[in-house]
Amino acid sequence: MSVRLENVRKKIWKFSPLYFMMLPGLAYLLINNYLPMYGITIAFKDINFAKGIWGSDWNGMQNFKFLFSSSDAYLITRNTILYNAAFIVIGMTVGVGTAILLNEIKNKLAVKFYQSALLLPYLISMVLVSYLVYSLLSVNVGFMNKTILPALGIDPISWYNEPKYWPFILVFVNLWKGIGFSCVVFLAAIIGINKEYYEAAMLDGASKWQQIRKITIPLITPIVIMMMMLSIGRIFYSDFGLFYQVPMNSGALFSTTNVIDTYVFRALMQLGDIGMSAAAGLYQSVVGFILVILSNYAVRKFSKDNALF
Amino acid sequence: MFRENRVWQWGSHIMLLLLSLACIAPFLLLFTASLTDEQSIIQNGYSFFPKELSLAAYKYIWEQSSLIFNAYGITIIVTVFGTASSLIITSMLAYPLSRQDLPGGKFFAFLLFFALLFNGGLAPTYIIYTQLFELKNTLAALIIPGLLMNGFSVLMMRGFFMTTVPPSVLESASIDGASEFTIYRKIVMPLSLPILAVVGLLQGLMYWNDWFNGLIYLTNPKLYSLQTVMNQLMSNIQFLANNSTVGSLASGSMQELPSEAFRMAIAVISIAPIMIAYPFLQKYFVKGLAIGAVKG
Amino acid sequence: MKTKIKMLSMLLIGSMLLLSACSSNNNSSDAGATSDSSESSEPAGKPTELTVAFPIFSAQPKDMTLIEDALNKITIEKINVKVKLMPISFSNWMQQTNLMFSSGEKLDLMPTISNYNQAVVQGQLIPLDELLEKHGQGITSALDPAFLDAARVKGTIYGVPTLHEMASVNGITMKKEIVEKYQIDTSKLQTIEDLEDVLKTVKAGEPNMAPLLPSTIGASILNDYKTFDELSNFLGVLPSFDNDLKVVNHFETEEYAEQLKLMRKWYEEGLILQDASTNQTNPLDLVKSNRGFAFLLSAHPAALSEGAAGGVPMKTVAFSQPAVSTTSQITNTMWGITVNSKAPEKAMEFLNLMYSDKDIANVLIWGIEGKHYVVQSGNVIDFPEGVDASNSGYYLNAGWLFGNQFLSYVWNGTDPDLWEKVKAFNASATKSKALGFTFDPTPVKTEAAAIGNVITQYRLPLETGSVDPDKVLPKFIENLKAAGIDKVIAEKQKQLDEWTKAKQ
Repeated sequence: MSVRLENVRKKIWKFSPLYFMMLPGLAYLLINNYLPMYGITIAFKDINFAKGIWGSDWNGMQNFKFLFSSSDAYLITRNTILYNAAFIVIGMTVGVGTAILLNEIKNKLAVKFYQSALLLPYLISMVLVSYLVYSLLSVNVGFMNKTILPALGIDPISWYNEPKYWPFILVFVNLWKGIGFSCVVFLAAIIGINKEYYEAAMLDGASKWQQIRKITIPLITPIVIMMMMLSIGRIFYSDFGLFYQVPMNSGALFSTTNVIDTYVFRALMQLGDIGMSAAAGLYQSVVGFILVILSNYAVRKFSKDNALF
Repeated sequence: MFRENRVWQWGSHIMLLLLSLACIAPFLLLFTASLTDEQSIIQNGYSFFPKELSLAAYKYIWEQSSLIFNAYGITIIVTVFGTASSLIITSMLAYPLSRQDLPGGKFFAFLLFFALLFNGGLAPTYIIYTQLFELKNTLAALIIPGLLMNGFSVLMMRGFFMTTVPPSVLESASIDGASEFTIYRKIVMPLSLPILAVVGLLQGLMYWNDWFNGLIYLTNPKLYSLQTVMNQLMSNIQFLANNSTVGSLASGSMQELPSEAFRMAIAVISIAPIMIAYPFLQKYFVKGLAIGAVKG
Repeated sequence: MKTKIKMLSMLLIGSMLLLSACSSNNNSSDAGATSDSSESSEPAGKPTELTVAFPIFSAQPKDMTLIEDALNKITIEKINVKVKLMPISFSNWMQQTNLMFSSGEKLDLMPTISNYNQAVVQGQLIPLDELLEKHGQGITSALDPAFLDAARVKGTIYGVPTLHEMASVNGITMKKEIVEKYQIDTSKLQTIEDLEDVLKTVKAGEPNMAPLLPSTIGASILNDYKTFDELSNFLGVLPSFDNDLKVVNHFETEEYAEQLKLMRKWYEEGLILQDASTNQTNPLDLVKSNRGFAFLLSAHPAALSEGAAGGVPMKTVAFSQPAVSTTSQITNTMWGITVNSKAPEKAMEFLNLMYSDKDIANVLIWGIEGKHYVVQSGNVIDFPEGVDASNSGYYLNAGWLFGNQFLSYVWNGTDPDLWEKVKAFNASATKSKALGFTFDPTPVKTEAAAIGNVITQYRLPLETGSVDPDKVLPKFIENLKAAGIDKVIAEKQKQLDEWTKAKQ
C-alpha cells in the first residue's frame, strides 16, 4: 500500500510541471466557461429585475414551452439539422479535397495565391456577406438578374421570394465562406504527415490516388473526426447571420430558411425575455451534448484512438 | 509516374484556380460597387465595369477619419496582444493534454470539450467579467473573452501535438535530463510551428473581426475597434429593419444611414488591411507550414 | 485516483477563494460608491452622480464630454447632481440595457423605446407616483394629465412620456419636385384609394421610379397606416379606435383583406417598389436618389412642415381622418428611473429639469451654442460655418427622445411655430376609447413568441403586395390561430374589461 502511494506521489511529482503549465488555461476555462454556468438556472426562472436574477421566481419548464408549442417546431428542427448535416458533409469533403490538391502543388507562389484567395471570404462578417449576396441576387439591380440571366436568355428571378432556391444558395454561401478555414486546418494536418510514408509508398509503386487513400486520408482522420464532432455538437445551432441576414429576413423564404436560432430571435424580439432565450440556448446545448456523447461512443467502438475522450 | 504527376499538377491548378476565382469575384464586385456612382447602380445594376465612377463614399469616410484611425489603432493593439497571449496560454494547456501518460488527461480534455459545448449564456458571463473583474470599458474586455476561442484552439493544437510530436523524442529528452518546461520550449514548440501559425492566424483573425465584445463591454467610443465601429454603422440598419415601430419613430434621426455605395466602401476599408497584411503574414505562415514539412 | 481528486478540488477551491476575494473586494467598493451617491440634502455636499443612458441612431458623437460638462455646470448648481451620459447605439440598446439590469450596474435614468409595457412587466422601472409629487412639478405642469394617465400600468406610473406628437393621422409624403412637375392636386387626396391615379401618373412619367415605398426600413407599405388602436402589440386590435371595446383579430377583418387586395393590385401594376419586402434602404434615401416617389406616414405637424427631411423637399398630405391618440402612440418614448438607481430622488430632480429647464433641453437636444449650432433668428438654429451633419461633434437630431423638446430650438427649415402647432395638434386629437390601457403579455408569452414568427413570415410580403392575398391570407390566419392568437385576444379582452371596470 505504502509503496503504491509512494509511486503515485512520485508520479504526481514527475508531472507537476505539466499541471503547472496548464494552470493559466484551466483558470481561464473556470472563469470564462464554468463560473457562468450558474446562468443555466435563468432558463427555469421568471426573470424580474426588481427581484434580481437570484430572487426571481422559479417557473419550471414554462420558458421552454414556446420552442415546442408552435406548428413551426418541426420545420425549424428539420431545417436546422438538415442544413447542418449538409454543411458538415459537403464542407468536410470539399475542405479535405482542396487541402489535398493544395498539398500537391509544387509552385510555392501559386500555393500562396490559392490559399489567400480561398481564405478571403473567411475574413469578412456575415453582414458583409449578405450585401455581397444582395449585389448578386437583388431583383432590380443584382448581377444575376441584370447580367447573367439575360445573357443566358432566362427571365429575371425574384430570388428573395422563391424559397426553392435557398437550400442551394445557403449551402453554397456557407461553403464559400468556410472553405478557406477548413482547408487551412486540414492542410496543416497533411503537411505534418511524415514524408517517409510517401517515399516508401512510391518505392512500392503506389499511384498518387493510392497514396492519398491509404496514407493521407487515414492519417488526417483524427483531425477530421475532431472537426466533425465539434460540428455535431453544434448541430442544433446555426450561424445566425447566414440564416437571418443573408436571406434578408424575407418572410416568403421561411419554409427553407427558418432555423432554431432565427425562430428564437424573432419570437423574442418583441418580448425581450432573457429567461426564454436562456431556455432556448440550454435546449440547444443539451441536444448537442447528447449527440456528441453518442457519436464519441460510436467512434470509440470503431477505433479507440480516434475517440475524443 | 512523371506523367501522372503532371496530370495531378495541372488538374490541381485548374480546380484551385476556379475555386479561387469564385472566392475573389464577389469581392471585385464589392470593390467596383464602392466606386460606382449611386445613380449608375440603380440604372445598370451592380457590374464589374461601372459606367460612372464616384469617390463620394470614400470622401464621406475620410470625413470620419479621426474616428477610424483611432479604431485602427485599437484593433491592432488588441490583435497583437490577444494573439500573442492566447498562443502562449493555448499551447501551455494543449501540450500537457496531448501527453498520453498524463494522469487525469482525459478528464481535463473532457472539461475542455464540455466548455466548448455548454455555456451559461451571455448574461452570467457579462456579470462575471464586469462585476468580479471590472473589465467594463477596458481593453482587456476585448482580449480576455476570446483567449482560447472557447477551447477550440486548444483541441486543435492538442490534436497536432498528439499526431506529430513522437513520444520517443520526448522520452529521450527526458532521459537526457531536460525538464518538462525545457522540453516544451526547446523541442515541442519548434516542432509545432505549423500549428502555431494556423492557430495564430485564426486567433488573429478572430480578434481582428471581433465586434461583439466591443458592443457588449464598452460604452466608451474611444476604445471601439474598427469592427465595432463598422458593425455599428451596419447593424443599425439591420436593427431598424426589424423594428419598424422604432423605425418610423426615429426616421428623422436616421438621416445618416449609409447608402449602398457607402456600405460597400466600409466593407472595402475593413477588409483592406487584412488583404494588404496577409501576404506578409503568409510568408511566416507558409514558412511555418514548410518547416513542419521539412522536419516531418 | 484519490489524490487526483484531492488535487483537483484543491485547485478548484483555490481559484474559488481567489474569485470570492475579488468579489468581496468589489462589493465593498460598491458599498463605498453607494454611500457616496446616497442622497445628501445639503447642496454643499459632494454632487450625486447619475448615469443616464439613451439610444442613438447615428455614429457616436465626438463631443460627449463637452456636452456632459455643459450639463453639469447647470445641474451641479441647481440640484447638486453630476450627470454621466451613456449614449448606446440603437442596434445594441436592448441587449446592453438588459445586461446592465442583470448585473445591477449603475444606471439611473433611461428611456424606453416602444417597449414600455415590457420594461414595466420585467421590473426594470420603479413606480414614480410619489417621486413625481415630490420633485416632479416641472413634469406634471408640462404634460397634459391625460397623457400622464396613459402611462399608468394597473394604476401606477412607471414612466413619463416625452413631449412629442401624442396622436397619429394617416397621410402620405411625396417628392415635391415630382408633385409640381405633374401638377398633382394634393387636395384631392382624401383616402388611401385616391392615391391610385397619382401613382399611375408618376409610373407613366418616371419609369425608373417606384411610386410607392415602404414606410421605413423593414416595414410594409401599411406600417404607418392605422385605422385601429393596436392595443400595445397588434395581436387583437380595436377597429376605428372604438368598437365598443371589443377586441378583434385585425388580420381577419374585412378591411384588412380589402387593403391587401389593393396592395396586390398596385404591386402587380408596378406602383409599389418591387423588392419592398426585402428593402434595406431608408425610404427618404430612396426618394433622394430618385428611386422612389412617396410613402405613407403619420402626417402630424412635424411631418407636414416641409423641408428638412433628409435634404429633399417633400410634400406631405394628411388624409381626411381625424388624428387619434392611443396608448401606444403616447407611450412609445417614456423616461423612467431604473431599479438599479441608488438615488431615485435625485434622478427625479434631474428628470424634472429635463422637462422644465430650457438650457438643459437645448444642450441635450442640440449641443452647445456656437459649437454645434448658432441661433439664426428667434428660436431657429442652424449649423455654424463649416459644420454639417457629417462633421458635427454632436448632432443627434432626436429631440423626440429627450423629455421636453417644446423647450428647445427648432432647426432651420422647420416651421418656427412648430411646437405651438404640435401642442394644438395634441389638444385637438380625438382619443381612442382604450386610451390608457396597457396590455401585459406575460400570461400569454408562449403564444406571443410563436405568433412573432408567423407575423414576420406573412405580414411584410402581404402588406407590400408581393404575394397573392387570395392564396396567402387564409394561410396567415390559419397559422396565427395555430400559434394561439385567439388565446392572446381572449386574454387581452379580459384585461381590457378589467381596466374598464377599474376606470369606472
